Amino acid sequence: MLYALMGLGLSLITGVLNIPNFAHGALFAVGAYLLVTVVNALGSFWIGLVVAPVGVALLGFAIEYAGIRRLYAAGHDYQLLFTFGLSLILAEGIILVWGPVGISHLPPEILRGGMDLGFTFYPKYRLFVMVAAGLLVFLTWLFLEKTRYGAIMRAGIENKEMVSLLGIDIHRLFTAAFALGAYLAGIAGALTAPIRGLSPGMGVDMLGIAFVVVALGGLGNLLGAIAAGLLIGVAQALVAAYWTEASTVVIYAVMAAVLLVRPQGLFGIR
Amino acid sequence: MDKLKRRDILKIGALAATGLGFPAILRAQAKEIVILGLWDQTGAFSDVGPLNDRGMRMALEERDMKVLGRPIRYVTRDGATQAGASTRRAEEAVDGEGARFIIGPWSSGVALAVSEVAKRKKVVHLFSGGTEDISGARCHRYSFQWAASPYTAAKTVVDNFMKANPKAKRWHLLVADYAFGWSVEKYVKEVGKTHGIEFVGADRHPLGEREFSNYVQKAAANRPDVVAMINFGGDAVAGAREIFNFGLTPRLPLIMSWSSGVEELVQLAPEIRDNLWVGTNFYYTADTPVAKSFVKSYQAKFKLPPGYAPSAAYSMTRMLLAGFDKAGSDDVQAVVKALEGLEMNDIVGPMRVDGATHQTLRPYFFLRCKPKSAMKHELDFADVVATGDAPLPKEYAACKDIGSF
Repeated sequence: MLYALMGLGLSLITGVLNIPNFAHGALFAVGAYLLVTVVNALGSFWIGLVVAPVGVALLGFAIEYAGIRRLYAAGHDYQLLFTFGLSLILAEGIILVWGPVGISHLPPEILRGGMDLGFTFYPKYRLFVMVAAGLLVFLTWLFLEKTRYGAIMRAGIENKEMVSLLGIDIHRLFTAAFALGAYLAGIAGALTAPIRGLSPGMGVDMLGIAFVVVALGGLGNLLGAIAAGLLIGVAQALVAAYWTEASTVVIYAVMAAVLLVRPQGLFGIR
Repeated sequence: MDKLKRRDILKIGALAATGLGFPAILRAQAKEIVILGLWDQTGAFSDVGPLNDRGMRMALEERDMKVLGRPIRYVTRDGATQAGASTRRAEEAVDGEGARFIIGPWSSGVALAVSEVAKRKKVVHLFSGGTEDISGARCHRYSFQWAASPYTAAKTVVDNFMKANPKAKRWHLLVADYAFGWSVEKYVKEVGKTHGIEFVGADRHPLGEREFSNYVQKAAANRPDVVAMINFGGDAVAGAREIFNFGLTPRLPLIMSWSSGVEELVQLAPEIRDNLWVGTNFYYTADTPVAKSFVKSYQAKFKLPPGYAPSAAYSMTRMLLAGFDKAGSDDVQAVVKALEGLEMNDIVGPMRVDGATHQTLRPYFFLRCKPKSAMKHELDFADVVATGDAPLPKEYAACKDIGSF
């Protein structure tokens, strides 16, 4: 579900803005660090979970407004270099602010420990994350499918010229899409913090997986990203149960296999 | 305009390259002694390399960057936690910079490859890590091992843990899948036999693993009395965290068999450290004069006390310098001969380099982490329960003949 959340945000940015966002992993990391900072300052995990992704969304807003906006005409190489450079700056920024040493962050008191599900033993916090991430994916889907602004965003993915011809401010749309993508990365990071802990390089692993999800679902295809995120998560868990050592490689194996059969991704490129 | 700029940058680059390249060769011709610190600044151990570098610099600065009355030039390269990059950069430093003494890198698998370079180029190589092969099956005259033998480590950990928890007979192992993990696993199982331990499971994970839920689920399903990890750095931290998240610790004891010490423990919240037992090559409360002064000056500089990584680099550098002193020369063969049988009272206590295998015989530490309530200050992670220095028994020794130069 977390994979779906990351992939959905990245797919939104890829689809609407048509840029490869290599800073997506770094935004994920910033979300996690903001959560810990807020929790340490205010003592409430729940406030942190609300505030941290909003902070990341604001950061995303600033990045689009001050940086990416100038590069739409410049071609993919420049956009790629810009977002990649940005990811390095954010990672180093994390080191400057929070230090290079990793941090462990405990789940809130009521979600600590494990739960016996009969067939298996599972941590309560992970169950919570599954439900929360599922809910977020559902809400995002509702927003995109059922609201007017969501429809405009989807229209922006289909045909940018037409949308701007219809008198919609396409720049504002781009900024909103990037901020929403950043928000999803931020909340995924915040939810992950108690599971994986925090380290300045934590975004790198997640970035790889997010791109796999996007490629697997079809570039810019939102429904595809959700399905691909779930598929990869399930494949990883199943393989892990029978052949633990292969649980990381299976992510990439699934991608390679699907792309060989369907080069356009599961649901096609939008 | 755009093109012109790019061309200018190329020119500046070319100038910079020649400017940097030539003086290096000229400098190497002076009467200085060039020592290479091969530390990982990128890759799986990118967090460790800078710490190694700190320790090595401190040992050199203690001597004002001089030995035998001659200046030392410290050259450092990024080993990238990869055999290809490490061997290439080691060779470059030997050929281009005139380095004849190499310390590092950190990963035992990579160090084995660098050890081959040392043998071929006939340069001294000091290394600290968990493979038994450098002082075992692949031993030769040029490479030396600073860390305790994996046998010494396993013996110290298993014996002392069983002394404190005699009923914990069902062990589940979580092992890093490379040279170091295999070596320590082998001896944990060997020593375990003498205590009647049953190994109910042993899963191997790749270096750099961050998703441990699957491994922990399997471990929990085996219903062990204790989980023992044989992994290092980020892997050990991620593993310990997940084992706690699943609710296994503090109900069950968790052992980190070969830990970095401070650097790993500080990343774990006190709750996660509850019922955690730790084997390590160095812990900062070690009661030796060298450790005391090193810890004091390190902590003054970097706030956190030193763990295994900076301490090993520090002590290896001191060991090499002691070799120069004993040999009275910087001739490679003379330094090798001086290091063989060298005795020092260094950071971990009495140390002796076994001339027949190039293994350093020295104590290994076993710690028990303190619960939050017992911690006197933020960095008061653990008590040293015991140290052990049982050397590898003859029947296991794989280094039959260290060979000639």
